[in-house]
Amino acid sequence: MTPAAAASKVLDNQTDPASLNTPALIRIQDVLVEYGQPGKPAKRILNGVSLDIRAGEFISIVGQTGCGKSTLLRLVLAEEMPTRGQVLVEGSPRPQPDRRCGYVPQKYSLFPDRTVLENITFGLEVTEIGFFGGISPARRLRRKEFRAEAIGYLRRMGLRESDASKYPHQLSGGMQQRVAIAQALIMRPKILLMDEAFSALDPGTRAGMQRLIKDLWRETGTTVLFVTHNPREAVILATRVIALGRTGAEDDGANIVLNLSVPDTNEESKIASLIQRIEQTTFPGGGAENDEVAGAPEA
Amino acid sequence: MSVLQIHAHPTRTTVWILSWFLFATGVVSYFWVSRDRHRDNPDDRVMPTLRQMSQAFVDATLKPAEDDEVATNASEQSVAARIRNSMLWKDTAATGRRFLISMALLFPAVLLGLHMGMFPHVGAFFLRFVLFFDKIVALSLLPILFIAFGIDELAKVMLIVVGVAPTIILDSYNLTRSVPKEQIVKGFTLGAGDFSITYRVVFKQIWPRVLNSIRLNLKAVMLFLFAGEMIASTDGLAYRIALLRRHMGMDTIIPYVLWVALLLFLVDFGMRTLNRKLHPWFQEA
Repeated sequence: MTPAAAASKVLDNQTDPASLNTPALIRIQDVLVEYGQPGKPAKRILNGVSLDIRAGEFISIVGQTGCGKSTLLRLVLAEEMPTRGQVLVEGSPRPQPDRRCGYVPQKYSLFPDRTVLENITFGLEVTEIGFFGGISPARRLRRKEFRAEAIGYLRRMGLRESDASKYPHQLSGGMQQRVAIAQALIMRPKILLMDEAFSALDPGTRAGMQRLIKDLWRETGTTVLFVTHNPREAVILATRVIALGRTGAEDDGANIVLNLSVPDTNEESKIASLIQRIEQTTFPGGGAENDEVAGAPEA
Repeated sequence: MSVLQIHAHPTRTTVWILSWFLFATGVVSYFWVSRDRHRDNPDDRVMPTLRQMSQAFVDATLKPAEDDEVATNASEQSVAARIRNSMLWKDTAATGRRFLISMALLFPAVLLGLHMGMFPHVGAFFLRFVLFFDKIVALSLLPILFIAFGIDELAKVMLIVVGVAPTIILDSYNLTRSVPKEQIVKGFTLGAGDFSITYRVVFKQIWPRVLNSIRLNLKAVMLFLFAGEMIASTDGLAYRIALLRRHMGMDTIIPYVLWVALLLFLVDFGMRTLNRKLHPWFQEA
């Protein structure tokens, strides 16, 4: 085991004793990710990252730009394979993304050629109706049920029924992300992966979205992996914050520098101290995005 | 205020006048020179007068071609039948048929580009070859096509396909590659398989852009079609123009050229309208 992996394991065990009893839903084992072109030295992104995530956790992954947060998310998504090590979901590696993981990226989260309703029901349509499914009366009935369910999700996301027939470009950024969350959740994924999903939103909308995702997590119990570069957002949302950073040389790749359990609290002093700890570890030279307007979820 | 300022705001009337000015100048100049030439030589065939061109166009619309067998009893037929048997209608139908067959044959080119963009092995198999083929000047292949496929319809259609298909394949390929990776990953996470993502996510998104690409290549399609018709054909608009050139029949050639331009404009307008109606999300985005 590399020194970085060992350090990561120690951190993980220090702050996460429950992991000894509960089987991990996601297991990241000594992962190394390098990108390289022939004839050029490989660029190391992650080095020796090990992490266990249990079902029902809300994990925030935080770190400086370019530290490999999104790479780590893509590994869990199975969009990318590690150069070394492995990522297991429910105990097995996956060759490509599948419906066990819902995905909400920062951009391009909706299909532009489909209306809001069609976007939300897309997953149900492809998995249960098929290409020529509309011909069968039973499936036509099923399609009606999907639409009713989608409308329910739409309302739950705080959107109006009249928004159902709109195209994504007719919605604001916040509304688009709400639809994207509904689109992912309607498939009842075991894991919801959100890659800087709120980064492009204005502070007010962002705070609203933070409340919404926290409520949905409480309701559904879905395991959430939330990538952000905002320490405050990481703390107020998550049950555990994973901070990535470089401990060695610049080209040595990033590892977990902090694995912090977050108590369920609205107490501003506790939140502030946690943020300070993340900032000191992850952003020693400053530079964390931490806009105050994106405040704590309402009690 | 200078008219060459970037921030100039021409009025609607000014825009209307400016946009029609070159048309008007061209028409007026033509008839000015034509009148002078006819004053010097009443039998001038290079620049026919408006009356000569109108007469030739009416003849082309109502009378069969001289080499057409129907010509014998043409004057006894109804107007509709005369139009149906007319030189212009038959030439337009012949060219239109070839044009439509060529357009239909371009659809597999779109699908090939789509699959090349989606499936890395298909892309690796075809891309280098298509890139090479795209650099071959299609008209230089004309003799080979005539030798290989004869001088019938197939050679002319193949010329269009060979000339335009690589561009359409590469356009479709690039459009497919430009679909954000997030959309494909999203499709997988929503339970879609490879072919569902290819056709229900990517193809649907690139189709309006592909239609636009085909629309922008209409002129190239017509160019290759005309080249084929001019060299080896017994009917069609380009065949007629080439034939009339031998007789200096400018009174018919000019209306034919304008007729072709009008047809192309209408096809372009039709495709644009259809694209807008079928894909409101694309036009509004």
